[in-house]
Amino acid sequence: MRSLFRGRFLVPALLLVSVGLFGLLVFSPGSSSAASDSGSSGFANSGSSGAGLKTSSGQYPQTPGISSSPQSPSGDGIYNVALPKSFIAPGQALFAANCASCHGSDASGTARAPNLQSLGAGTVDFWVSTGRMPLADSSIQATRKPPRFNKLQSLEISAYVQSLAPGGVKVPTVDLSNANVGNGARLFTLNCAACHTITGAGDALANGAYAPSLHYAATRQIVEAVRSGPGNMPRFGPGNISNADVRDITAYVHSYIQHPVNRGGFGLGGIGPVGEGFVGLLIGVGALMLVCFWIGDRT
Amino acid sequence: MSDEPLTAEPTGALPVAALDDPHQLPYARHPARAQAVAVVSMTIGILGCIGFGIAYWISDQTQWEAITLGLGLLGLGFGLTAWGKYLMAQGPFVEERHPFNSSEEEVKAMTAAITQRGGIVVGRRKLLGGLFAIGSLAFGVVAAFPLIRSLGPKPGRSLFVTNWKKNSPLVTVDGRPVHKNDLEVGGVLTVFPKGFAGSSPDQTILLRLEELTPEDPPLSLASPGRSDWTALGYVAYSKMCTHLGCPVGLYQQQTVELVCPCHQSIFNVLAGAVPEFGPAPRPLPQLPIKVRDGFLVAQDGYNQPIGPGFWERP
Repeated sequence: MRSLFRGRFLVPALLLVSVGLFGLLVFSPGSSSAASDSGSSGFANSGSSGAGLKTSSGQYPQTPGISSSPQSPSGDGIYNVALPKSFIAPGQALFAANCASCHGSDASGTARAPNLQSLGAGTVDFWVSTGRMPLADSSIQATRKPPRFNKLQSLEISAYVQSLAPGGVKVPTVDLSNANVGNGARLFTLNCAACHTITGAGDALANGAYAPSLHYAATRQIVEAVRSGPGNMPRFGPGNISNADVRDITAYVHSYIQHPVNRGGFGLGGIGPVGEGFVGLLIGVGALMLVCFWIGDRT
Repeated sequence: MSDEPLTAEPTGALPVAALDDPHQLPYARHPARAQAVAVVSMTIGILGCIGFGIAYWISDQTQWEAITLGLGLLGLGFGLTAWGKYLMAQGPFVEERHPFNSSEEEVKAMTAAITQRGGIVVGRRKLLGGLFAIGSLAFGVVAAFPLIRSLGPKPGRSLFVTNWKKNSPLVTVDGRPVHKNDLEVGGVLTVFPKGFAGSSPDQTILLRLEELTPEDPPLSLASPGRSDWTALGYVAYSKMCTHLGCPVGLYQQQTVELVCPCHQSIFNVLAGAVPEFGPAPRPLPQLPIKVRDGFLVAQDGYNQPIGPGFWERP
């Protein structure tokens, strides 16, 4: 055993252990720390939870996604949030300070940035609340990052843009109590897994674009993304995927995708055989080599 | 090693090493400790093996079986290795070799035996040789059966046509007809001909693009002669990649490209789905569609074979 700690074994051993630990840390983001609920974890927005908001048919639940009172006549689990008029003025101030330099003071777009009018509050809320806007740099694709604005501010900006022109995607709140997770898994496989992969880890697309990981998405953001089709993502309207189906997909992403059941222990991020083979080769074969060194060493 | 000169002569008796020869001492500085380690390790190994038996007997838990068996083998192996490595005399030892070459008599006898055998024995077994030849022939013929069988039945026209016919309604995988308002601009849907929902060769990817007005620049949506193959911005292509037949299901609506997940072929939807990157050799075949009574139907089947190439493909 002593020979392991001599010079010529120390370096490969340390290298192996550190690379192995690094790999486990990097490849296991979804196994434990995924967003537990909309608005209460790592990447999701913190702060005010929509005080004073009302749904189209009742009180805005304090914690979207857990509300157990389906009050909408359709009962499909997705309710549009009616943003109060009082949000517009502070939203306009935030917009003027943070967004107008690229999108124009009336959000009608400039040479640098697209027109936001009639995209709807839900679209704006998705981009702002996931931290993609304001843009960090003008690369191929806006990346998810800790949001600059809290949830209330994001909704205020959304309310302002919504007030400029009608139409677009509304800000939703999701009631998962009646969701059919099995149906959600089926629909996820049919519609989402092609790009986001079956584990929701995300994957590369063409020309530097990529489908992002779903592990940090809040329920509200999932619905907004499906309905608005941000960036390169296709847009799925109610004619294609009904509200109840979107609720089921959201429930599936919220449960099994964000809290995967890894029977083998480490999920390694669910990025497929390349990552698993890499870890197996590096750690498994590397450890075997160290054992061989130890057995054969006679000096 | 040894200071004595090496000799080719056999020494007869084994060399007896002096008791104070360091080569005869174990490697471990404290042999008692090393033995204790080996004992503990082997005991753990024994317990692990017994534990494996228990785990196998009382439950079907593969994890427990793997852990106990792994512990058992690891403990025994570690104990054995430690024994050999630390407790055996460390050596190195030299064993003198005996002369290699045979004596004159042996060489003569062997030569004679080989010559005689070559002249007499071989050539008497024509029966066995013939039987073996027949057996080989029979095996060769029989072994060709699965090869020949795998060549058939002949595919006929099935590689050239799909179930898409004139006026086939477009349906979803659930069999629901596709209404003209179902997709929004930027939307995507996998469709099948009515009655064949879920059939792989018929899978078609339906996209909705921004509808172009007559004032727009000339329609770049389709190749020449295909300008009326779309309706209301809807455009439909075969979902089977022309490379190896993977489902081309990745749609980038902003750059209007379809991406094949298997080998990253990229198809430019606005230019008739020509491949602009990757190994795909041909554009995705386009399905001509139209709107009838508010629902989408095919104008006709595909005008060319779908999917990867094959030997008789024109």
